[in-house]
Amino acid sequence: MSNLFQRAAAGGHASPHAMELADLASESVIVSDVHGVIRYWNAASEALYGWPAMAMVGQRIQTIGSLAHNGTDQFSALLREGRWEGVVHRRGLTGTEVVAAVRQIVRRDTSGAFLDIVEFGRNAGSLSEAAYLRMDAELQSSLAASWELDTSPARPLLDAIAEHRRSGITIDFDRHPDWVDKLLTATRILAVNDRAVRIFGAHAGHEQMIGQPVGAFWPAESRSVLATVLESVASDRTRLELRKMVLSGSLRDPVIKAWHSAEPRPPDAVFVTINGVTNDERTAWELQASESRYRRLVQYLPTALWQVDSRRAGEAFDQLKANGVRDIAGHLERNPDLVEHAKDVVRVTDVNLDAVSLFRAGNPADLIKPVRYIFAAAPGLAERVMISHFEGRRNLIEETRIRAFDGSIIDVLFTVTYPVPPEQLDNTFITMQDISERLNAEQQLRKLQADFSHAGRIATLGELATSIAHEINQPLSAIVTNGETSLRWLARADQNTEKVAQLTSRIVSNARRASDIIQRIRGMAAKHEPEKRLIDLNEVVEEALLFIRHDIDSKSIVLSSTFGADLPKILGDRIQLQQVIINLLVNSVQAIVQSGQPTRRIDAQTSIDDDGCVLFSVLDNGPGVPTADLARVFDSFFSTKDAGIGIGLAICQSIITAHGGRIAGANRPNGGAHFHFTLPVPTISGPDSSGAGDIVR
Amino acid sequence: MPIVAVVDDDEAVREALYDLLLVLGFACRTFDRAEAFMAEYVPHRFDCLITDVSMPGRSGLELQERLRELGSSMPVVIITADTSPATRARAMSGGALACLTKPVKDDVLLHHLRSALGQSASSRDDLRDTPSDE
Repeated sequence: MSNLFQRAAAGGHASPHAMELADLASESVIVSDVHGVIRYWNAASEALYGWPAMAMVGQRIQTIGSLAHNGTDQFSALLREGRWEGVVHRRGLTGTEVVAAVRQIVRRDTSGAFLDIVEFGRNAGSLSEAAYLRMDAELQSSLAASWELDTSPARPLLDAIAEHRRSGITIDFDRHPDWVDKLLTATRILAVNDRAVRIFGAHAGHEQMIGQPVGAFWPAESRSVLATVLESVASDRTRLELRKMVLSGSLRDPVIKAWHSAEPRPPDAVFVTINGVTNDERTAWELQASESRYRRLVQYLPTALWQVDSRRAGEAFDQLKANGVRDIAGHLERNPDLVEHAKDVVRVTDVNLDAVSLFRAGNPADLIKPVRYIFAAAPGLAERVMISHFEGRRNLIEETRIRAFDGSIIDVLFTVTYPVPPEQLDNTFITMQDISERLNAEQQLRKLQADFSHAGRIATLGELATSIAHEINQPLSAIVTNGETSLRWLARADQNTEKVAQLTSRIVSNARRASDIIQRIRGMAAKHEPEKRLIDLNEVVEEALLFIRHDIDSKSIVLSSTFGADLPKILGDRIQLQQVIINLLVNSVQAIVQSGQPTRRIDAQTSIDDDGCVLFSVLDNGPGVPTADLARVFDSFFSTKDAGIGIGLAICQSIITAHGGRIAGANRPNGGAHFHFTLPVPTISGPDSSGAGDIVR
Repeated sequence: MPIVAVVDDDEAVREALYDLLLVLGFACRTFDRAEAFMAEYVPHRFDCLITDVSMPGRSGLELQERLRELGSSMPVVIITADTSPATRARAMSGGALACLTKPVKDDVLLHHLRSALGQSASSRDDLRDTPSDE
């Protein structure tokens, strides 16, 4: 026992905090990753195999030969089963063979992702085959629930009890429940391992246990045992206490061990481990825990969920396949009674709370019956569900309708997920989402987004007022001059009717031009629901440039535009996309004017990117965006301009996101900013998809 | 017949001015930007220049300044949609005969062209105070 203590103490020095408890374990504890590379090797491992942790961490365990007793590599079995136990033969430091009884466990996180492999091992070299079995049984106990407790707050009480003991009185804690309570209340939890949390934590997690009195978690039936061992090791620091204890529930024949921890742990820290020797105890409580987690998850999942036992359908399908049926759709059409039969024999086995409220039912029991009611308002859905199942598909998703128990018809998104071997065949899941609510919310969101972007357009129009005035003034100016020229011709003796006709037609076309400009401005200024149509981004960019052209010219900026050829059409709102383009250009213009560059350049480009999306880029040679600001430029109310309220780019982002695209900004390597957005190209099939008049909401 | 050069990036405006100058009895050459004008510029080729301000490339004001640097005394009439005092001040201090706001009245333009062409060789200082726009 003192040997154990020394080994434990030796291991306590240079180890990460998380492994401290394992360092103190008497068993070899080895943690390795999915590739079998050793990540942790405790002091007991050093003692057992002779190899120091420094030599082994980073190595594969196979480098020291690890083969199972029957000469096979157990690694794949371990990965498959999640656990493996048995005897392995390894090469020790001195070249001798080390025979170890080991138990390996794959740890996974709550989502089931692989974490690591933990191996507990003991020397089995001198044992007979029969003794291996006994060793295996004992190995079960190596997965101890471990605690580190701080007894220092209980020091006065422990000293008082020691005083009693010195005066010759036998200490029996069963007869001093007040001492037990005081001791267990004063003694605080310094650390616990996962297993202790699972067995003793009740609903508390690891974090909730640290710093609490051990008495808050210790089971009532063995409180005096804990008090006894604590008092024993507190009075003799070299002692290792080992006792049987009583513990109802998960552990059978539990044994409690306690010993004083060594430096550098606090002087009054005591380690307590509880080993339960049962055959499949871990699996049992793991399953229990995960089952209850799963139950809670399902129960409160914000989606209506049905668990359906579809074994009867599966059996029927197997029979049909055996009879040579291949065309299930045709077969069901000829035998509609098969579908009706299935609606009665395939049963709902469980539902969650959302399912109950979706069907306006009183309680889950109303829904746990044959599936017929699910299909009451969805003609043909049951057939399609069966066809997909027969054809071995993983799932089926459809927008459909249900009839709730109060008679109301509800639009839902219906999903069925079929079991795939080796999953259990009774686990077919149906989920439904009430899409009438979703559509309503989407409608509100669209309106909000429309209002938001409208506000942005008005602001942009305000900034571009001069540019717009100039744009309208040009045709007006031409109209006035042409009109006056006409009058002069008409006033002359040598009237030139041909010339007057030419001038008049110019007046007409310039008036049209002015009218078109006003139309465009009205479009930008108007409040409208976004309308997604198939549009050519190049045309959108060209129109947007008309708004800002004067602004660019008047600031002596050289604008070059490069339009990608044969761009596929995208689905979008022309006005909103123009707004984004104008906004990005206005930002570049404003930045570039501040920079004092002798030559001011803005490049507007369209192209197709590597992912097949349509791309618009604005590149300028202005000062660029300060690196610290880059991450925030799309945030609402972020502005570097004195007069800006900082919603321009936020609106751009919301518009592009609503179009299923992405917008980003960066600095160019040689100075200047580069803002760009991409828009997905719709994959629409069907005869009417090419018409630009389609409105898709 | 005196030759007037017109520089404006807007085709409709160029066409309109071309025909107005024609009916007023001037010959006219039009250019869509300052650089195009400068490419054909030689001293005394044109009797007067009418230019817009805001254009792609060099602006009308920069064009006027460039001509002065080259020692040109050719009268320059600026026509612009920009009504800001700064633009006007820069135009006048750069030696413009007049700075007119679009749309331009034909008789006002005619008045300035006549005074420009009638006295183009003599001192134009007297003309600086001429009312340039109504």
